[in-house]
Amino acid sequence: MARTKLNHQQKHAFSSIISGFAAASLLIILVSLIGFVLIRGASFFWPMTIYEVTTQDNSTGLSTEKYEISSLDLQDLQSNLNVRISAQFVDDTLALPFVSITQAKNVYQIALSNGAIKLGAFSSIHTPLGKTTDLQDYKPARDAVNTLIDELSQIQMQHLAIIHRTLADYDRSNVAQNAPARIKVMQEFDKWQRKTDALNMQLKQYYIVFTDAQTSTFRVYLRDLDRWFKPNEMGGLEKLGYMVDRFAQFLGDSPKQAATSGGVFPALFGTVLLVMLMAVIVAPLGIMAAIYLHEYAPNNMATSFIRISISNMAGVPSVVYGVFGLGFFVYVIGGSIDQLFYSDALPTPTFGTPGLVWAALTMALLTLPVVIVSTEEGLRRVPDGLRSGAYALGATKFEAIIKTVAPIASPGMITGLILAVARAAGEVAPLILVGAVKFAPSLPVDGEFPFVHLERQFMHLGVFIYDGAFHNQTNTQGSSMMFASCLLLLLIVFALNLFAIIVRNNLKKRYVRQ
Amino acid sequence: MLKLFESEIQNIDSLSSEQIAVDVQSLSIQLNNKQVLTDISMRIPKHLTTALIGQSGCGKTTLLNSLNRMNELNAHYSYSGKVLMDGKDIYNKKENVARLRTRVGMVFQRPNPFPMSIYENVCFGLKIQGLNERRKLDDAVENALRSAALWGEVNDRLFDSALTLSGGQQQRLMIARALALEPEILLLDEPTSALDPLTTLHIEELINDLKKRCTIIIVTHNMQQAARVSDYAAFIHQGELVEFSDSDSLFTMPAKKQTEDYITGRYG
Repeated sequence: MARTKLNHQQKHAFSSIISGFAAASLLIILVSLIGFVLIRGASFFWPMTIYEVTTQDNSTGLSTEKYEISSLDLQDLQSNLNVRISAQFVDDTLALPFVSITQAKNVYQIALSNGAIKLGAFSSIHTPLGKTTDLQDYKPARDAVNTLIDELSQIQMQHLAIIHRTLADYDRSNVAQNAPARIKVMQEFDKWQRKTDALNMQLKQYYIVFTDAQTSTFRVYLRDLDRWFKPNEMGGLEKLGYMVDRFAQFLGDSPKQAATSGGVFPALFGTVLLVMLMAVIVAPLGIMAAIYLHEYAPNNMATSFIRISISNMAGVPSVVYGVFGLGFFVYVIGGSIDQLFYSDALPTPTFGTPGLVWAALTMALLTLPVVIVSTEEGLRRVPDGLRSGAYALGATKFEAIIKTVAPIASPGMITGLILAVARAAGEVAPLILVGAVKFAPSLPVDGEFPFVHLERQFMHLGVFIYDGAFHNQTNTQGSSMMFASCLLLLLIVFALNLFAIIVRNNLKKRYVRQ
Repeated sequence: MLKLFESEIQNIDSLSSEQIAVDVQSLSIQLNNKQVLTDISMRIPKHLTTALIGQSGCGKTTLLNSLNRMNELNAHYSYSGKVLMDGKDIYNKKENVARLRTRVGMVFQRPNPFPMSIYENVCFGLKIQGLNERRKLDDAVENALRSAALWGEVNDRLFDSALTLSGGQQQRLMIARALALEPEILLLDEPTSALDPLTTLHIEELINDLKKRCTIIIVTHNMQQAARVSDYAAFIHQGELVEFSDSDSLFTMPAKKQTEDYITGRYG
């Protein structure tokens, strides 16, 4: 084979094709990653179509119908179901039932306030006034129910809560069971309890009857009803409105039905709180360390050793930090705090168990190198002329650093901090060890004294996604919730990076000479 | 008036100690284990301009820096000898270096304004001194800018960034910044080397005006400039003081062969 020689121009074209190919494939990977998460995440908010699935048993000839919601289209769903059924009947192919799917008409998707979803056709509305089939009557019934619910919660907050607290106080101060004060409170309690019972009875009189695919009926109490709508009959705009609505709910609600519906508010809240706490810890530490290293430390072996250690710290696997956090912060420091201040509660640990404060400390440690390195980078960019200028005007070293060097290095500091925050927002492995859980019963901040409970376990978006990946993948809702959280996490990190870039550019404009 | 002025220029050795601003006594300096200055002794007169001339790397900037102890910012630095101001050695252990630098102002070769407003730049030193009264600061800023012949150009934009000024304006701002502290001595390290001839002329005029307020010591490469602005001149060669006398005699009839070679441009 003859060897072809490339001339100069061909060589040039060849190298640009090679490097262009690399750049283009990187771009394609990035775009497809974001596109994938965006589409899968957004589809969680898009209303799904309701199908009527009819399964006819071959041997008996009996057919069963049921409604099913799916984000797939008719054909995909059909083949999906066929695969599922043929897997069930792999030994007995003769009994393979016949399945037909049609798009259901006039069927409501009924979302309950506990997160469960039911499907059915509307039959009638029941109120104390009687039964109607007119949908116009829904609104007044809803209003009546809302008033009752308000009344109920008023009683809960204003009367029952106080009574509970008083009773708890009596218990603590060992007031006898038959003391007159106690009896009086108990009478009060009975009075309000009877009232709530009456209200609950009234609430039970408001319900809607739906028919399912098998034409049997079921009741949905207005008290439990969150929203109901006909996805198959919705127009494009309506669907968009629903999407926005769902997204708001996603941000503001707690996860329901084993994290398959509802929202991610506790995880979002936990992430933001963790990141803020971490920033508060890591910013002063990292910035001071960097200022010491760059401005004060003598240029010797010890300093280079510290620098090398910091670079190595950035390379330590994050799970190692998690183990360190658990072993040192939680068991050693938390354990000692418990023994010193909470010895009454032992052996139940207060601080000696994974919690928010330990997670924040661990993440601060993990992101410390990022902050130090980028602050030092910022300090290195400060021209020496400015330092001598400050000295020549009678500034001490400290004054020169605070008044001239630090402001000019501030873009570097901010960049480091935001990078640290973005890292902590997306980290999972160490958090599982030091306090992030898949479901926390209460937020770390609430109305109970001292309002901020740093020792509590918390939820975190990264951990939430990690946990979501173990849910049943055939359940499209569930897996989409994971993708939706993924999308949210991506949005948060992008927003933070964008914020960092804007802040840095503004500071640069202010402090760096053109 | 001119006669009176000229009559002040006398032989250095005949000056009384009250007329001396800085008395450098056998000062030797090593930087990075290299001998930079060797046994320099010179008496710099008060309220006059003294120029330090010499080749690049001869140690004149180091000498200038030793007068407000800026050399100490260099880690590998050692010295011997004395520098007396008002009869006190500025290198004694009790000397407050930051305070010393407010008495001995300095302007660098390249203007180095802080990335703040013009106003903030001028009152930087005063604020560090703890002066926070707005009225006093305003007065001090105006005075300093007037003395540096910059007031007319910037009085309507005092709160703009100092980085928006031109090179010559920035250098005058640097002078104003130093003057705001009302120093006894002003050290100028090649203040015009980065500027065009016209701006250079401005600054030279300014230097002549400033003599009334403080002693000026200027390092320069420009022989004409040294002759124009200075009353006394010192020629330094390879870390040694070759000749120090009034400018007229040094530039017209130098006593040493080396000096003559340098000022006539035979080397350097």
